[in-house]
Amino acid sequence: MSDVRFAGISKAYGEVRALHPLDLDIRPGEFLTLLGPSGSGKTTLLNICAGYLAPSGGRLLVGGRDVTRLPPRQRNMGMVFQNYALFPHMTVAENVAYGLKVRRLPKREIARRLDEALHMTRLDGYGGRAIRELSGGQQQRVALARAIVIQPDILLMDEPLGALDRQLRKDVQLEIRRMHAARPRTTIYVTHDQEEALVMSDRIAVMRAGRIVQVGTSVELYEHPVDTFIARFVGESNLLSGTVASIANGRAALVVDRLTVPLEGRAAEGLRAGGQASALLRPETVRAQAGGLEARIVERVYLGELVAVRLALAGGHELWSRRLAGEWVGGDTVEIGWDADAVSILPSASFED
Amino acid sequence: MSGRLALNGFVALVVAFVVLPIIAIVPAAFSAQSYIRLPPETWSLRWWDAFFRDASWRQTLLTSLQVATLTTLVSVVFGTAAAMGIARCTARGQAILTGLFLGPVVTPAIVLAVALYSVARATGLVSTVTGLVAAHTMLALPFVVLNVGVSLSALDRRLPMAAEGLGADDFHVFRTVTLPLILPGVIGGAVFAFVTSFDEVVLSIFLAGPTVKTLPVRIWEEIRVEYTPVVAVGATVMLALALVAAATSRRAGRRNRA
Repeated sequence: MSDVRFAGISKAYGEVRALHPLDLDIRPGEFLTLLGPSGSGKTTLLNICAGYLAPSGGRLLVGGRDVTRLPPRQRNMGMVFQNYALFPHMTVAENVAYGLKVRRLPKREIARRLDEALHMTRLDGYGGRAIRELSGGQQQRVALARAIVIQPDILLMDEPLGALDRQLRKDVQLEIRRMHAARPRTTIYVTHDQEEALVMSDRIAVMRAGRIVQVGTSVELYEHPVDTFIARFVGESNLLSGTVASIANGRAALVVDRLTVPLEGRAAEGLRAGGQASALLRPETVRAQAGGLEARIVERVYLGELVAVRLALAGGHELWSRRLAGEWVGGDTVEIGWDADAVSILPSASFED
Repeated sequence: MSGRLALNGFVALVVAFVVLPIIAIVPAAFSAQSYIRLPPETWSLRWWDAFFRDASWRQTLLTSLQVATLTTLVSVVFGTAAAMGIARCTARGQAILTGLFLGPVVTPAIVLAVALYSVARATGLVSTVTGLVAAHTMLALPFVVLNVGVSLSALDRRLPMAAEGLGADDFHVFRTVTLPLILPGVIGGAVFAFVTSFDEVVLSIFLAGPTVKTLPVRIWEEIRVEYTPVVAVGATVMLALALVAAATSRRAGRRNRA
């Protein structure tokens, strides 16, 4: 298990900056997810870590050792590629044992570690199969077995579940999570699926346009997003934009057009009195409250134990609420409210598109 | 209905026009007469006997096989390396390099022959196996570059990347991952290279000499003196080898799809 440190790593293609200089520390045994939309630079960062791309600047340290200039074969990292990149002319066992044979381990050691890896990925008895005979889920497990059998210092995964259907993806997420818990291994996981990131990660680094916008645990990102981009990207959100009226003691008041009362909430970093900002209300915090704001129910979406309700406020603003199904019964006109502690006042993302 | 009949007739004519002259040479090789007439009046193997008994015919056949084999080896090694280099270039670089490698194919053979002859004379390569192999390699190389290039473009580039990440050095990656996956293209290129060398006449006439002579050159010389069924035997031998080569490349093609 090693720690990983990206120190001022950057990547430019001519004039195009794929990665702005960035710093990121990953602890030994940590499962860190790089989360971001396509083109945000997450796969570029992963490929720099694996050694497939040379950074334009900065250093990469693994376990305190500078590996910036090392070719991939000297880094001892296991990579699970998008769509797996399994060797189609080899059997399952030959694929998994490839890295062991390259290391010229004794035959018995290869056989032992091969069996162990196949067992861990529930592929016992599949060693002799050809790759094309396997289902997508089985191929995914072969790719994982091939990467972990070499006992890598770092495990890298590039959207490894993208090709699987929804139900299977959920199963594999939990399986990878359990494997990681049973035997922690420094892991960098790339995905654009926020739900996947929330389920699996110790910490998440959210990327956008070649920068890391925020690094934190699932809870930190959800409850304390640094700006509106994170708020939108992680979880469901209601955002009302307006002007900051006052900031004091970590709290701010936001004046929203066509809304009679200012919205109060926790002030995020980077707010400025008189500047533009947004109030974040998570849907589960918007509830019925006698004497609150008047709203009209425009739409109801049944979600099983929950019901999502679209509420129109007097000024034309709309909010989504997501509460237990019993809460929004009765007529079309309701009075709503929320705890001021559940509201965050966030600066708008600096380079919103 | 009449349209269909006309089409069938047309197809039959085309087939007859293309294939019959090729097949016609085969019965001529089994004639008992000392002149070529189709079909032969009586059949025998006497001209096959004459062909293989004659040390000079045997020698030209061996020379042809030797030159074709060496040409195949040289062009497969260099052509595969060239194709892999080209695949790493930018689109513009690929276009330029592919064009350069195709040069010898589009240049009229007689122009190449004259040019090569002066070089070969200056370097003492006339009437040597080396000279013939060098000249044939020029013509055969493009086929290897093209065939391997097609296989490489179908190769998932992340496969060699994955192998490298698992710890393999460049040569090991090539031997265990890249080469097995582009093998159909390599075999296809090798077959083309072999056939190209084996039936090459124009350059060979210029570069062959009394001591080193290929089969097609010998057939061409023989036919100018007298038109005996021995020539037909030589031609049939060439035809048989070409068919073997074609069958090999078809098998390689099937492996590619599997």
